[in-house]
Amino acid sequence: MMQMTMDELTVGQRGAIKAIHAPKQLKRRLMDMGFTKGVDIEVVKLAPMGDPIEVSVRGYHLCLRRAEARKIELS
Amino acid sequence: MHTIALIGNPNSGKTTLFNALTGTSAYVGNWPGVTVEKKEGMLNSHKILDLPGIYSLSPYSPEEQLSRRYILDEQPDLIIDVIDATNLERSLYLVTQLAELGCPLLLVLNMADLLEKEGITIDTKRLSQMTGSPVVIVSASKGTGINALKETIEQSLEEKYVALCPLFSNFVERYISHIIEDDYLHAIPQGRQMRWAAIKLIEEDELFLSSMPPLPDAFNTYLTKSRAELADHYDDDPEAIIIDQRYKVAEHIAKDCQIRKQKVKSFNFDSIATNRIAAIPLFILIMGAVFYLSIGLVGGYTTPILENLFGYLGGQVLTLSDTLGVHPLLSGILVDGIIAGVGAVLTFVPQLFILFLLLSILEDCGYMARIAFIMDRMMRTLGLSGKSIIPLVIGTGCSVPAIMSSRTIEHQKQRELTVIVTPFIPCGAKMPVFALMLTYFFPGQWYIAPLIYLLGIVAVIVTGLLAQAIDKHKETNAFILELPRYQLPTVKNVWLQTKERTLGFIIKAGTIILLSSVIIYLLSSYSFTLQTVDAERSMLAIMGRIIAPLFIPLGFGFWQASVALLTGIAAKETIVSTLSVTIGTTNLGSFFDPASALSFMTFILLSSPCIAAISAMFKELGSMRKLLYALLWQTGFAYVSALLVRYIVLLLI
Repeated sequence: MMQMTMDELTVGQRGAIKAIHAPKQLKRRLMDMGFTKGVDIEVVKLAPMGDPIEVSVRGYHLCLRRAEARKIELS
Repeated sequence: MHTIALIGNPNSGKTTLFNALTGTSAYVGNWPGVTVEKKEGMLNSHKILDLPGIYSLSPYSPEEQLSRRYILDEQPDLIIDVIDATNLERSLYLVTQLAELGCPLLLVLNMADLLEKEGITIDTKRLSQMTGSPVVIVSASKGTGINALKETIEQSLEEKYVALCPLFSNFVERYISHIIEDDYLHAIPQGRQMRWAAIKLIEEDELFLSSMPPLPDAFNTYLTKSRAELADHYDDDPEAIIIDQRYKVAEHIAKDCQIRKQKVKSFNFDSIATNRIAAIPLFILIMGAVFYLSIGLVGGYTTPILENLFGYLGGQVLTLSDTLGVHPLLSGILVDGIIAGVGAVLTFVPQLFILFLLLSILEDCGYMARIAFIMDRMMRTLGLSGKSIIPLVIGTGCSVPAIMSSRTIEHQKQRELTVIVTPFIPCGAKMPVFALMLTYFFPGQWYIAPLIYLLGIVAVIVTGLLAQAIDKHKETNAFILELPRYQLPTVKNVWLQTKERTLGFIIKAGTIILLSSVIIYLLSSYSFTLQTVDAERSMLAIMGRIIAPLFIPLGFGFWQASVALLTGIAAKETIVSTLSVTIGTTNLGSFFDPASALSFMTFILLSSPCIAAISAMFKELGSMRKLLYALLWQTGFAYVSALLVRYIVLLLI
């Protein structure tokens, strides 16, 4: 089955986090910011060149690059 | 005396609260030399510390390490956790970590004024019950609740409430209690909490492990087995399991204590500020407006007035000392040394004040994070991060706070590259030098000043591209940044920061520049045998002549320019005072021509920065070798660029 990752979402689409496939340090950072299993996220906006992306999680906004979003698997 | 540590997420209004609690008088500036990492102030005879904003006590970024080390090693009497009340859940995640440290904890719900607007109500009593810590609700920017907070601080210092440690799932708790029972943990350094230590052992926290005696074999085997069982049960690594458990606790508390109504959508400035088409033009427009207002409008008005003022003052003092029969040496020091040198620098105070003011408004309102967001893609091609744009913008004011602000860039290589390129952006102190040369050689040619900024940007780009090209191990690096809510800048914050930076400039004029003006005057009036001689045969001339030949290819191989460059290492403004002492500001034409004037400016723009910025660079780069490489690169790049500029201009004329 195809896995869905966060970078595939378009603006306004939502998803729930299933797993983070990233090196220890990056994974820790993402989780510290609130990207834990089962959390709902929404892609809010894209930067002028389509990257990075702005995401809403746990009631606040943050931005991250597509490369990082690709490491976040959604269910 | 008690010690209180102020901690909290970035953008939680921690610094605003710090300022509200300590008042302006207690402010310790973060100007060169003074620690920037933590600010200190006084509150009712207690020492209060403002630690860097962090999301977690994980040991990964330098700020987190600093805050963690401080709390663990210094054992403050009270930790105040400043919480953005509109962002309760994520803030509680940090609370779950702080609660385990064994220090009394006080929770401050800040931004009370925004709760209603966001449709949020928080049951503070329930929150206090669930965390075991007193909770106070304030609005630091509006100043409400501050008195109640001060009372609660006193109370907490007396009663020493013990925060409730978050309880995890039964499965995890079983391992924690087994580990606590082991003899090993009874040997841990005093003041450290057993439960905290047990969790660190499960997480395999390297920083913690390195501070502990080696693990006995049997215990180590048990730990490895436990980690494997946990990983198996949760299908994740132990560190992630603990984070997950903490967030579950945070979710639980937030759900119980807060009611969120759907908020009404209102107009959002972000729809323009980060709009895909309008964002970058708007950024350029805003920066253009900042420079136009400060340098063009205010500077254009005040500079001639102040120049005349200092000229008049010098003339008056000279006449006065002549009538009083003051020794020409003394009047020379006063008029040609101090008044000429210091005056030339003080002339720039009004426009720098406006520049610092506008920059600190940009920093305070939340726009900086948006610039990082929209510029990240471009900065990435240079091997930099979107966050590197913040130091570059602040660098137009002063490189020192700019270099320090690079600390928020997590990735080491990007951070170091940012530190190296930031001084290429012309700072406020270089402005007097450019202004002096431009008004003399290119009066009315307005387009040259923007070209200087452009040259600085080109230097950043070339360095970035080159560093990218020679970097063999291209690592993937992250860019994760919170986009905080926009807020009206608080007058107090903006004022404090502007005052601090402007005062730093004035203090330099009154100390380093005053002293160097006197020394330069003396050195340029005497020979090594202490005879009064004309400047050509003075000590200064002899010293300058040693290095002057180096600059012959650049068109300014005379000793006055070399000496000016040398004194510029103390502070770039000193170049102006040195030139005005050795050459005289009206006599520049007999030494420079337009081509060598431009190459001189280019060299000053790009070569190694002043000593304050060099020490900031050293601090951020962390090694003498890296610093030397950086300075060598900057100065070498400056030399080649100046050479190019000179010959291009000579060809064109």
